[in-house]
Amino acid sequence: MNSERLEGRLAGIVGADHVLAAESCAPYAVDDRVPEAVIFPGDAQELSEIMKLASSERLSVVPWGSGTKIGFGGIPARVDLVVGLTRLKRIIDHEPGDLTATFQAGMLLREVQASLHTSGQFLPFDPPGYERATIGGILATNSSGPWRHRYGSARDLVIGIRVVHADGTLTKGGAKVVKSVSGYDMNKLYVGSLGTLGIIFEATLRLYPLPTVERTWIALFLTGEAAACALAQILHSTIVCTRVEFLSSVAAQSVGGQSGCVVPAGTVAVALSVGSVPEAVDSQITAIRKLCHGEGAVAGFLVEGSAQDGLWKAICDFPSASGNGRTWVMLKASVLPTQVVGMIHHAETLARNLGLEPVAISEAGCGIVRLYWMDTPGSAEPDPISIATGVEDLRNWIARRGGSLVILSAPPAIKAGVDVWGPVGNALFLMQKLKQQFDAQGLLNPGRFVGGI
Amino acid sequence: MDKRRIIRELAAIVGRDWVIADSGELTVYECDGMTYLEKAMPDVVVLPDSTEQVVEVVRLCDREQLPFVPRGAGTGLSGGAIAVAGGVIIGLNRMNRILEIDLANQRAVVEPGLVNIALTQAVQDRDHYFAPDPASQAASSIGGNVAENAGGPHCLKYGTTTMHVLGLELVLASGEIVQLGGKTLDWPGYDLTGLFTGSEGTLGIVTKVAVRLLRQPEAVKTLLASFRAIDEASKVVSEIIATGIIPSAMEMMDRHIIRALEEWLHIGYPEGAGAVLLIELDGPAAEIEAQAKRIEQICVRYGALDLRIARDEQERALLWRGRKGAVAAVGRITHEFYLQDGVVPRTKLPQVLREVETIAERNAFVIANVFHAGDGNLHPLICFDSRREGELQRALAAGAEIMRLCLSVGGSITGEHGIGLEKIDFIPLMYSPEDLEAMRMVRAAFDSSLRCNPGKLFPTTRSCGETNATYRPHRIEREGLAQRY
Repeated sequence: MNSERLEGRLAGIVGADHVLAAESCAPYAVDDRVPEAVIFPGDAQELSEIMKLASSERLSVVPWGSGTKIGFGGIPARVDLVVGLTRLKRIIDHEPGDLTATFQAGMLLREVQASLHTSGQFLPFDPPGYERATIGGILATNSSGPWRHRYGSARDLVIGIRVVHADGTLTKGGAKVVKSVSGYDMNKLYVGSLGTLGIIFEATLRLYPLPTVERTWIALFLTGEAAACALAQILHSTIVCTRVEFLSSVAAQSVGGQSGCVVPAGTVAVALSVGSVPEAVDSQITAIRKLCHGEGAVAGFLVEGSAQDGLWKAICDFPSASGNGRTWVMLKASVLPTQVVGMIHHAETLARNLGLEPVAISEAGCGIVRLYWMDTPGSAEPDPISIATGVEDLRNWIARRGGSLVILSAPPAIKAGVDVWGPVGNALFLMQKLKQQFDAQGLLNPGRFVGGI
Repeated sequence: MDKRRIIRELAAIVGRDWVIADSGELTVYECDGMTYLEKAMPDVVVLPDSTEQVVEVVRLCDREQLPFVPRGAGTGLSGGAIAVAGGVIIGLNRMNRILEIDLANQRAVVEPGLVNIALTQAVQDRDHYFAPDPASQAASSIGGNVAENAGGPHCLKYGTTTMHVLGLELVLASGEIVQLGGKTLDWPGYDLTGLFTGSEGTLGIVTKVAVRLLRQPEAVKTLLASFRAIDEASKVVSEIIATGIIPSAMEMMDRHIIRALEEWLHIGYPEGAGAVLLIELDGPAAEIEAQAKRIEQICVRYGALDLRIARDEQERALLWRGRKGAVAAVGRITHEFYLQDGVVPRTKLPQVLREVETIAERNAFVIANVFHAGDGNLHPLICFDSRREGELQRALAAGAEIMRLCLSVGGSITGEHGIGLEKIDFIPLMYSPEDLEAMRMVRAAFDSSLRCNPGKLFPTTRSCGETNATYRPHRIEREGLAQRY
């Protein structure tokens, strides 16, 4: 179909105001691949019509929330049509007494939170890119942040879902209740599937009450090992932390500084928050402080109020607010909690050998580590193939210990040199069969998911 | 099938002692915990002892085109482990080893036949436990918990089984072994571990499970409050949650259950109590002390007749005694009962329970309620006597009415027991043909032969049903209450 005819047919579905013509599509490129058109449906029916058209014309489709995670995944095989979901931005319902709410996928997380806060509740999502992230994007990538420690990730919080399939069929999974075992748990299939099996357009989520009080203790250590010892003791105690982060030295300086803590160069930090009734917060923070001191913490800060908000926001939004240099590659490692600090050391050595500044921010209790390999001031531009090789080295090191490493974002030149996802194990054929069942023509996000799905 | 040859071949795989083909011994396997609606005898039961033996048994089934049903302890309550049209039951009870405990990372790897409570017992002296606690945890197996995504009183705070399962080893109907997930989180690819959990044995056989262990809380507090009517007690449930407190359990019993328990155990619930609410808090001592005070105030505000707080472990056990004996107690006030498992948003509890009462009155029989109030997970026990003309039929019809009622307020037809055989004719009330087709696509990806627990979960049609499931009318259909789609 030529581009004018395509635009016309798309405008016939959503109106001309909600279609971007080919010449305006550059901002919607995925790994430098510019779509032929961008379309913004206003409801599920329009979304279904778009997919029917895409299916009959064999157009590949990239779902797009606000683009904060569009760097995820492999280089797309084709990008014909971007389907933007930002017009789907309503709260369908919210029943405070049930601690559940249903949102459209294009709704911004920060708007969701603002609305829920009026009822004393919140959705425990705080992924990287918090300020601009949409609900749909978070679900499609199962993206998580510090709150995961206490509340789990998107896969644990979605109780109902609505999707459009590649052929335009609208289906749902789950219900608006926190407990249901009726049929397969389809929520799990779509969450984290990077839009390759269907486009999520609505989801019902489990909410939580805002704690009466939350306070954070930041402890500084001279070595990662000392920090790890303190963390291990805290994680195995009866202290109930809301957020548990390990910050490597650059991250500690950057985000600690933003919340008013004096973080000397070379020290690493752990940040632990406790949310509860005031007396329980005080007693647990005291216990945390003592445990950190016992493991040789060189300094500690109590952070609360707006400084606390700033600290956690800086952790989620790193490196955007930090003024650090360009991030060449952003990685997510998943290891066992006891392996976090050792893995970070290894990743740091690899990055420094490449002339890059390594930064690590870790949900240490979950074993999830975000790694940033960044420019060092005044250094020469690194070679993408060397970075790809470095990623491969780190992946092998982690895989030998039973974990996994994926690239969250990198320039196409790096992605071309290393598999973004790495080995998936011996269930890949099942994933390929699922893709075949749900999207036989391979139209949804082709080539971006594991094993070339 | 050449039964004698198959039995011989199975015996060659697992040993003669572990193949059951004698009709007397097979009776044990003719139903699971749902003893009142459906029964069916398998041709043979085989009890493998290792993943490799499971593979060989499944390959034999594949070669001979035999349907098979994976089975744990058989404590399921929807008929999910009942044999279909003969075939093979693969019992996993012998595979009950704990393979690894990694307390430093709060993980364990176990075999599917391990009894749920045994895992907690193995780590409790080191201050840890396995959180999913179905009421049958003293008997039910972890593999069965995974297959059914089992719930339990404490999943209000800690979530159902799926929240605690990190990785699985499966044997597919083709005999292939696959590893899903592992001890670490977020394996790249589709979340097949999550998809498999709760698939009721239709996607494969679990042979290993990697689970999360939790640290025991600093303190536990258990409260029992009695109210004049179930309405007040339901409002207390919503109010506690709205206040920002998430107890570890909130369980309710209605006046019928109270009467049955009083006649049996003489617990001493106050005169005139129409509802009893059991609330448990756990966590840091300072937190639960403050929360218990708030809960007391709420209970008083809604007219609690009586409020008891356990002072020690012994008293705590006493307060739980009624709740744990509730279903058994109903056996004292009725000849038979039909246990339902609907879920509603918890704010709809007062309205839905009133309507359940209306359904009971209209049918002139008792519907007793004991349920996980915090989750909105109802367990109406429809009391009937099948010796009386037409009463079974009316009990089944009332059950169907309750399911429709749950769906009409946005709920689910099953919260923890599953679809199994019992509810396959009702699942289309909850899901459209397109929704069910998406689930069938999942099924097809895992098991295109449809030999793994056929005839369960999906509504099978007369004309285009699952090829390996012999059509057998559902009890409800035989009673003329529903037609297959």
